[in-house]
Amino acid sequence: MDRFRMLFQNLQSSSESVMNGICLLLAAVTVKMYSSFDFNCPCLARYNALYGLGLLLTPSLALFLCGLLVNRQSVVMVEEWRRPAGHRKKDLGIIRYMCSSVLQRALAAPMVWILLALLDGKCFVCAFSNSVDPEKFLDFANMTPSQVQLFLAKVPCKEDEMVKDSPARKAVSRYLRCLSQAIGWSITLLLIVVAFLARCLRPCFDQTVFLQRRYWSNYVDLEQKLFDETCCEHARDFAHRCVLHFFASMQSELRALGLHRGGIPESQELPEPPEDLDGGSGKAHLRAISSREQVDHLLSTWYSSKPPLDLAASPKLWRPGLNHRASIAAPGTKLCHQVDV
Amino acid sequence: MDKFRMIFQFLQSNQESFMNGICGIMALASAQIYSAFDFNCPCLPGYNVAYSMGILLTPPLVLFLLGLVMNNNISMLAEEWKRPAGRRAKDPAVLRYMFCSMAQRALIAPVVWVAVTLLDGKCFLCAFCTAVPVATLGNGSLVPGLPAAELARLLARVPCPEIYDGNWLLAREVAVRYLRCISQALGWSFVLLTTLLAFVVRSVRPCFTQAAFLKSKYWSHYIDIERKLFDETCTEHAKAFAKVCIQQFFEAMNHDLELGHTHGVLATAAATPVEADRTEEEREKLRGITDQGTMNKLLTSWHKCKPPLRLGQEAPLMGNGWAGIEPRPPRKEVATYFSKV
Repeated sequence: MDRFRMLFQNLQSSSESVMNGICLLLAAVTVKMYSSFDFNCPCLARYNALYGLGLLLTPSLALFLCGLLVNRQSVVMVEEWRRPAGHRKKDLGIIRYMCSSVLQRALAAPMVWILLALLDGKCFVCAFSNSVDPEKFLDFANMTPSQVQLFLAKVPCKEDEMVKDSPARKAVSRYLRCLSQAIGWSITLLLIVVAFLARCLRPCFDQTVFLQRRYWSNYVDLEQKLFDETCCEHARDFAHRCVLHFFASMQSELRALGLHRGGIPESQELPEPPEDLDGGSGKAHLRAISSREQVDHLLSTWYSSKPPLDLAASPKLWRPGLNHRASIAAPGTKLCHQVDV
Repeated sequence: MDKFRMIFQFLQSNQESFMNGICGIMALASAQIYSAFDFNCPCLPGYNVAYSMGILLTPPLVLFLLGLVMNNNISMLAEEWKRPAGRRAKDPAVLRYMFCSMAQRALIAPVVWVAVTLLDGKCFLCAFCTAVPVATLGNGSLVPGLPAAELARLLARVPCPEIYDGNWLLAREVAVRYLRCISQALGWSFVLLTTLLAFVVRSVRPCFTQAAFLKSKYWSHYIDIERKLFDETCTEHAKAFAKVCIQQFFEAMNHDLELGHTHGVLATAAATPVEADRTEEEREKLRGITDQGTMNKLLTSWHKCKPPLRLGQEAPLMGNGWAGIEPRPPRKEVATYFSKV
C-alpha cells in the first residue's frame, strides 16, 4: 500500500503529468468503447445519414466534454478569468496558455474516436451509401432510379435479402470504405504535421513570454491546490476544537445541574483542550479564525482580492478590505486584547 | 515494485534511453496497427495505385513525425537553435548530433511498417495487379482482342476474390502468387538493406571524428539534463512562493481580526518555533526571488542570456541593475603535476 501511495505521489508531483496520464486513459477508454459498440445501420434512405453522422460526431462531443470535466485545470482557468483583479493584476496571456493546454488534452479522445470510426469505415458507408454516383458502377445500368436508391440504402446491411451476395453491393461498399480510410489517414497526417510544426516552430516566437506564462500558470494551479489543503487543515482544526468545547460545556452543564448518575465521580474531569492541538506542529495563524463569519470573510476576500505576487512587501500594507482603519499597526507590535474568562 | 520503479527511473534518467523505450513501443505498435488495419483494395482501375501507395507511404510518414513529436528533444533542439548566443556560444555540432539521434530513432517505426507491408503483399498486389504480364501468365492470345479499358477493369479486380470475373483470361491464383512473390522479395531486400546500412553506420563511425562525437554527445546530454533541472527548480520555487503567499494571507487576516475585534477569545499570532523554522525553510527555497517582476526577469534572462559553461565565477546575472554584487577577480587555479621521473 505504501509503495502504491509513493508511486501515486510521484505521478501527482506534476500536474501536467497527471493530466497527460488522464488524457491517455481517456483515449484507451475510447478505443475500448469503439470496439465494444455494436454498430447497427438502419438501412433506410433518410435515416442512414442521420445515424452515420450522429454516431461519428455525438460520442466525440461527449468525450470532449468529458475531457474538459476531468481536467482540474479548466476550473482553475475559469476562476482565474472571472476573479476581480484586487491586489493582483490579471494576465490574459496566462489564461490563454491554460486554455490552449486544456483544449489540446481534451481534444485527444474525440480525435481517437473519429479516426477509429473513419479507418474502420462502417460509419462512413452507412452515412454516404445513398450519395454514391451510380454511373461509376456498371451493375446499376438495368435498374430504375428509385430501385437504385433503395438498393444503395441497403448497401451497409450485408445480410439483407435484397442485397445479399450481390457484387454491386460489394463494389459500392469497397469504394466507400476505401474513401473513408483515405480520409482517415489524411486527417491523421494533417494533425500530426500541425503538431510537429507547432512543436518545432514555437521556440522561434516569443520564447521568453512562453517561459513566463508556463511558470505563472503552474503557479496559479499550485496556489489553488495549496489553498484548498490549508483550508482543509483549518476546517479539521476548527471541527476538533468545536467538538472538544462541546464536550467540555456539556460536562460543566451537567455538573451545574447536579446531575450525575452513579458512575461519574466528581473528581473525574475531561482534559482541557490542549493549547497545542497538533502536537508541536500547530499553525497558530489558522486558529485565530474561529467563527463562521470570519471563515466566510476569509474565503470571500481570497476570491475578491487575491494577495499581490510580492512576498517582500509588508502584508500589513495591503490588508484586504479594511481600508477605513485609521491606524496601521507596525509589524511586530504586540497588541493587547481582552480575554473573556 | 522497487525494480519497476528502478527501471522506470533508469529509462527516464536520460532522454535518449527514454526515447529508446518509446521507439521500441512504437515499432511494436506499428506492427500491431498493421495487423488490426483492414486493408480494403478498391478494385477500380484508377484508384488501386493511389490507395496502395497511400497505405504504403502515409502511415510511415505519420509514424516518423509522431516519433519526432513525442521526443522532447525536438523543442529543445529548436530552442537551442533559436536562442540568442548571450554568454554561451552555440555549437552546431551539438545541434547536428541531437538531430541525427532523434531522426534515427524516429525512423525505426516507419521501417517496420514498410517491411511488414511488403512482406505481407496485399499492398503490392493491389497496386500492381493491372501491370501483370498476362501474355506470359495467362491466355496471351485473348489479349489483343480486348480494349485496354476492359483489360484494366478486369485486372483491377484481381485482389478481390468475391468480384473477380476474369478467370477465362488469367487465373487469379497465378497472378496473386506472382505478385506476392515479388513483393516478398522486395520486402526482404529492404530489410537487408536497412540492417546493413545501420550496421555500417554504427561500425564505421568510430573511425571518423570520435573525439568530436564524444564531445557532442556529452554536451547534448548536458543541455537535456540542464533543461529538466531548470523546470524542476522552477516548480519547487513556485510551490514555495505559493506556500509563503498563502501563509502571509492568513496572517494578514489574523492581524485584521485582532485589530477589528475587541472582545472574544483570540489566540495570538505568535508563531511556534516549529512553524518559524518551517517558514524559514520555505523562504530559503525562494532563493531571494520574491516577486513577480524579478521572476519574469529571471526567466527572460534564462532564454536570452544563458550562463556560461564555467562554474566557480560569480558574475552578476542581471547586468548593471543588480545591486550589491561586484564581480570577483577570477580565482587562479593551480594544478600540480606529479611526474614520474
